[in-house]
Amino acid sequence: MTRECALLLPRVCAALADPRQPGSDDTCLEKLLDWFRSLTAFDPTVKLLQDNPCLTEFITAILALPEPSPSILSFTLRLAGILAASENRFQHLQQEKLLVRLFGRDGPLNSAVWEDASVRSGWVEGVHSMMHHQPALHFLCDGGGIDAIFTLQGDPSLFVASAASQLLVHMLTFSVESETTKPLSTKDCDWPACAQMIIKHIEDSLQSSSASHIEQSLKLLTSLFGNCHATWTEVLWLGISKQIESFLTEETVQAQHMLANLLLKMAWSPVFCDTEGSFWALVTSALEHLTPMQAGPLAVGILRLYKCPQDVRIQALTVLLQPMDCILRAASQPLEYAGLLDESVSDPITVESLLSSKSSCASLLCQTLAHLEELLSLIHLPVDLPYTSLLRSLMTILQFCNGFLSPASPLGSTISQILINCFRVQRSALDVLAALSERKGCDTLMGSLFDVLLAYLESPNTSPTVLKKTFQATSKWLVRLQELSCSNNQWQQTEKILEDVFLVLQKHLCSPCWEVRDSSLEFLTVLIECLRDQDEFRQSLLSSEVPRLTENLLEDPESYVRASAVTAVGHLAFITCFAPESPVTGNQYNKENTVAKLQEILSTDSEGFPRRAVISIFTKWLRQGCTGQLEDTEQFVSRVIQTVEHDLDWEVRLGGLELVEVFCSQAICQLGLPKCPHAPVSSAVTSSIHQNESLQILCRAKLFSFLFRSLCDCDKPVGQRACDILLGLRGDFCPISTLKDSQGTGDSPAGHGIAWLQRTLRQGSLAQNFPTDGGNGVDFQNPESMMLALCTVDLEELHDELNKSSDHVEKSPQSLLQDILATVGTIEENEADCY
Amino acid sequence: LSFFRLGPGAGQDVGRSCILVSIAGKNVMLDCGMHMGYNDDRRFPDFSYITQNGRLTDFLDCVIISHFHLDHCGALPYFSEMVGYDGPIYMTHPTKAICPILLEDYRKITVDKKGETNFFTSQMIKDCMKKVVAVHLHQTVQVDEELEIKAYYAGHVLGAAMFQIKAGCESVVYTGDYNMTPDRHLGAAWIDKCRPDLLISESTYATTIRDSKRCRERDFLKKVHETVERGGKVLIPVFALGRAQELCILLETFWERMNLKAPIYFSTGLTEKANHYYKLFITWTNQKIRKTFVQRNMFEFKHIKAFDRAFADNPGPMVVFATPGMLHAGQSLQIFRKWAGNEKNMVIMPGYCVQGTVGHKILSGQRKLEMEGRQILEVKMQVEYMSFSAHADAKGIMQLIRQAEPRNVLLVHGEAKKMEFLKQKIEQEFHVNCYMPANGETTTIFTNPSIPVDISLGLLKRETAIGLLPDVKKPKLMHGTLIMKDNSFRLVSPEQALKELGLAEHQLRFTCRVHIQDPRKEHETVLRVYNHLKGVLKDYSVQHLPDGSITVESILIQATAHSEDQGTKVLLVSWTYQDEELGSYLTSLLKKGLPQGTS
Repeated sequence: MTRECALLLPRVCAALADPRQPGSDDTCLEKLLDWFRSLTAFDPTVKLLQDNPCLTEFITAILALPEPSPSILSFTLRLAGILAASENRFQHLQQEKLLVRLFGRDGPLNSAVWEDASVRSGWVEGVHSMMHHQPALHFLCDGGGIDAIFTLQGDPSLFVASAASQLLVHMLTFSVESETTKPLSTKDCDWPACAQMIIKHIEDSLQSSSASHIEQSLKLLTSLFGNCHATWTEVLWLGISKQIESFLTEETVQAQHMLANLLLKMAWSPVFCDTEGSFWALVTSALEHLTPMQAGPLAVGILRLYKCPQDVRIQALTVLLQPMDCILRAASQPLEYAGLLDESVSDPITVESLLSSKSSCASLLCQTLAHLEELLSLIHLPVDLPYTSLLRSLMTILQFCNGFLSPASPLGSTISQILINCFRVQRSALDVLAALSERKGCDTLMGSLFDVLLAYLESPNTSPTVLKKTFQATSKWLVRLQELSCSNNQWQQTEKILEDVFLVLQKHLCSPCWEVRDSSLEFLTVLIECLRDQDEFRQSLLSSEVPRLTENLLEDPESYVRASAVTAVGHLAFITCFAPESPVTGNQYNKENTVAKLQEILSTDSEGFPRRAVISIFTKWLRQGCTGQLEDTEQFVSRVIQTVEHDLDWEVRLGGLELVEVFCSQAICQLGLPKCPHAPVSSAVTSSIHQNESLQILCRAKLFSFLFRSLCDCDKPVGQRACDILLGLRGDFCPISTLKDSQGTGDSPAGHGIAWLQRTLRQGSLAQNFPTDGGNGVDFQNPESMMLALCTVDLEELHDELNKSSDHVEKSPQSLLQDILATVGTIEENEADCY
Repeated sequence: LSFFRLGPGAGQDVGRSCILVSIAGKNVMLDCGMHMGYNDDRRFPDFSYITQNGRLTDFLDCVIISHFHLDHCGALPYFSEMVGYDGPIYMTHPTKAICPILLEDYRKITVDKKGETNFFTSQMIKDCMKKVVAVHLHQTVQVDEELEIKAYYAGHVLGAAMFQIKAGCESVVYTGDYNMTPDRHLGAAWIDKCRPDLLISESTYATTIRDSKRCRERDFLKKVHETVERGGKVLIPVFALGRAQELCILLETFWERMNLKAPIYFSTGLTEKANHYYKLFITWTNQKIRKTFVQRNMFEFKHIKAFDRAFADNPGPMVVFATPGMLHAGQSLQIFRKWAGNEKNMVIMPGYCVQGTVGHKILSGQRKLEMEGRQILEVKMQVEYMSFSAHADAKGIMQLIRQAEPRNVLLVHGEAKKMEFLKQKIEQEFHVNCYMPANGETTTIFTNPSIPVDISLGLLKRETAIGLLPDVKKPKLMHGTLIMKDNSFRLVSPEQALKELGLAEHQLRFTCRVHIQDPRKEHETVLRVYNHLKGVLKDYSVQHLPDGSITVESILIQATAHSEDQGTKVLLVSWTYQDEELGSYLTSLLKKGLPQGTS
């Protein structure tokens, strides 16, 4: 703790304890606790309490108040807990009898303030904080506090209830791990006293007839098995497993969804997943007995496991695939069914009835689809999924949803009636479809898949959110299609599909709905990114109206759309302007035109998004070497910089710096500094000549004025980036021996200039207008002057300064204490007026 | 119906709004706000409390955002793009247009501050906005077959709305923030007498009866004018949208009227977009603005110009609106540092500032501020706080309750002590239950639902044909079979029910023995009974069947002699449950014995 803080703390404590004061802002108290947490985390001694007696005095003062405000009492409980987290400080506070009065029977626990949720919450948090040593454990168990925690598990406030449950888990773990010396077994019941109390409570609750008690215990166990993977958890489990097993079969107990959670947590624990037999038998039984909705999360969790008996895995897979199988069966003629599941393992009656009910059909499908997506997103899938049938089933669902399929079977017709226009299911199915594109083995259905996708893209009934997902799935499958046609020469099919896609894209680019126009442009960009090397793709794209419509959208009224249009046009340029053998040439796709258009947007668009998009496209072009020879590039960069350096949006200025950084490294690389691995020349003799040349280029492009000015930018990230770039340049241009300290610049005019520059930079964002015309003796276009600046200016110091967050002073503990003191008495009036 | 509110800690807090309502099996999240006082995870609600089982997208039926202030929508991109909610989001058209500007503005400031983690990006804001379904005022939007929502005008800020949520026969109204008195550019909140089961109302100014806004405006203009007159500069830190526009209108009109020449600037270039939306959504503003719109658009400012960084050093008076509003980063802070040392200058804070910002410091009266690099900035300029926020005061809240006539009221977005006072007042005046749960607390409210039941025409005709003519004032009892299937209730005739459900009919008959002292032969007793009944039950069809039994509607009566006592006859009466009433009546009639002289 700094001296300043130590001086302020007694006054803050006095102010907080003063009942006449209106009470501090909750966030202030929270942050004060954060500070105490950081102060005590690595120091177990009583020094903090001895040096600051005001802390114990504060607690005493609060305890003496006849009616403390709930918020300050809650704060006191939490503070006391944090302080008592070390045994030394715990004893210190005990000597003063403070902890008993705060956490014991005669404390808030049995007074009227206990009615207030914030007091109960503070009490639980306080106890949790101190529970790091045995004296605290005994203090609580002997003092009867543990019964209060048991009760709080059922608190009306979810926050308190959940905190109480977490606290019990922590206490149980801590008690067993700190108090037992020999391994535990079920027979001799040699649990430590505190653990015994908690275990007895769990057992009693599980046997009680109260659903809420059972639920609380299951929650506690779930959290315990999820967090603690010690072997003793198995001993605990053996004592209660029979009881828990009975919940699966007893209809009277409504705790099935909690059971699934519990078993899942256990399956992930090495203690249980390695066991033979009984645990996995229970899991299998759960997968059988629970409803498909309840069993789904358990099934998908099991399928993610690498260590799991094969039969359990198959059972889990059956649960997961059953709805998809049912869909397939509902849609097919009796004899043609080629389902997902072996008919011998599937018992479809429950699933069929769920799918044919309006209230459960969509929920079951959405859950199943989400689980499938989760599985498919894993890189290494521990099970093999029947991808082709899965794809067929997905297509069927999508066709049910848009009314393109209404099967004759009663089940099929019921499901299709329920699903028609169901956006939820459409979105989920399209997500899975996109994920499925990464998996091999679905190629035979490619034609019909695109029929389904195109139907969605073409339909006016498709909602914008569904359309977006359709675009995502389509782009992924188009990439797949392209790979496929490369290998089997099925160009015709691909060409036809691409043609259709661009036709429908044309339509969407003209949609009245900005969301649709924007998603269409994003889709186009993704396609170009992935497929721009494919001839068929380029030809189909350029022979469509898409490029022209995209350019039109550069003038869209919606700024989001303009920005996406900029990105799309930027990518189109890779095909139209920058491709080595452009398929179409002529004025239509003139490089200069495109650059000029984007430049225009950069300098005139009233909104940040399009301008940011332009600068990032320019950087992308530069990175890919599309801006021509070094000289052209120099002019290009120089022009762009002059446009962005006065931009009102700091992210555009930051983008400008990124462009500069790429240019600098390219210039240096092309002219061959020894550092550059791709340098054409690397002899030590020539390096200084080239060095001079590249410095000249950077000066000519007016980069230095931009970089130095940026150091004084009022937005920190800009200054920071500029500083990083300058440090990099210094590393390139100034050998360590040439680095000068700032005093060493001498009396030369250049020296005066540098001194001025140093002073200005020190003022940071407060600097008056930053002249870059050389008026102050610094010529930003003179290589020598810049070399001197690079070698002299203390960039490290600036770097450290800029790296601090802009509100680091306001966030400091001292500032917090000052704020609390200053607000005393004045806050009342302003506080309520949040907006 | 249950209600649950997410927030930091377990107390009431003005910080951020996020409410979960479960109504008739539907789960709706109301607002998704952030707390600007924190820069870690605590700034967003902890969504893991919403459901521990399954995905949020499956659990929630929709999310509704009441207005564009960040304590009501600031966590939305985090919720939809980072936590992974993928379902529908509803807000009004102006909110959908303006919300991303504020989110973007705040994102920029947050990233600018550095060291901030776990924050959403521009792309996420856009993707989130694409999921939003915009609604019109008073348009009933069907979220799904059972859930519908409807927006009402709330005043407060442009596009702010109260939402009515209806599922089954239950309904809730959530007010968001609202204002019951019109101000310079917005109208007053209004709702029809929708009698919801629950009204969830904000209660920011639960105990205050606010002074007139006119006074505050006059005060504001006076202070700005005085400062400019003596050659000082006025800094007004604002967030890009909302209050800024109101103050702009105020100054613009004043400048015009007083013919003032000092320049007014608005920083960051956001005005254009903001003003564009105010023009676009002119119907959401108040009548006065709409009326004058024809002659002159209030939002086309003659005197207010875009600000350039270099202007801050210009000599002479000026007024500058700069972002961000709490002086915690960027341009407003930079200008403040330049101008703070001159006592001729003034800074006007038009809104609340969280702890940890320079705005908070100067509002709490601190005049020597430590700046970066251990510099001390002495604040000599005048510091003024002026609240222009538009919330309903106690009177307004009562007025809204009177308008909507809810069956229960729940207060949020206020301080516990002040809410307690209002709660008592509401309970006294309206005789309804009023709740004020703490954050994290669930309140369950029981409703008496009136469940609509469809009745088949055939049954209706048949039932009305029986008995008296229908009378609107008297409720009539109908007999039929209630079929509950697929969340619908239908009353049909038993025959139709059997047919629909494919069930066979079982007859349930009640039987009863009545002993009668009558020495005559059995068939004579029967005849006496027949004549007696025929005389008493004139409106019913009483028949004497060839087999010697009597029927009255479905009731069957047979007589046998007592096995031990021939002078006693046993009447066996049996009836179906439909004729339960008649059956009981008949038995009691026969128990009284036969009148003398019936033969």
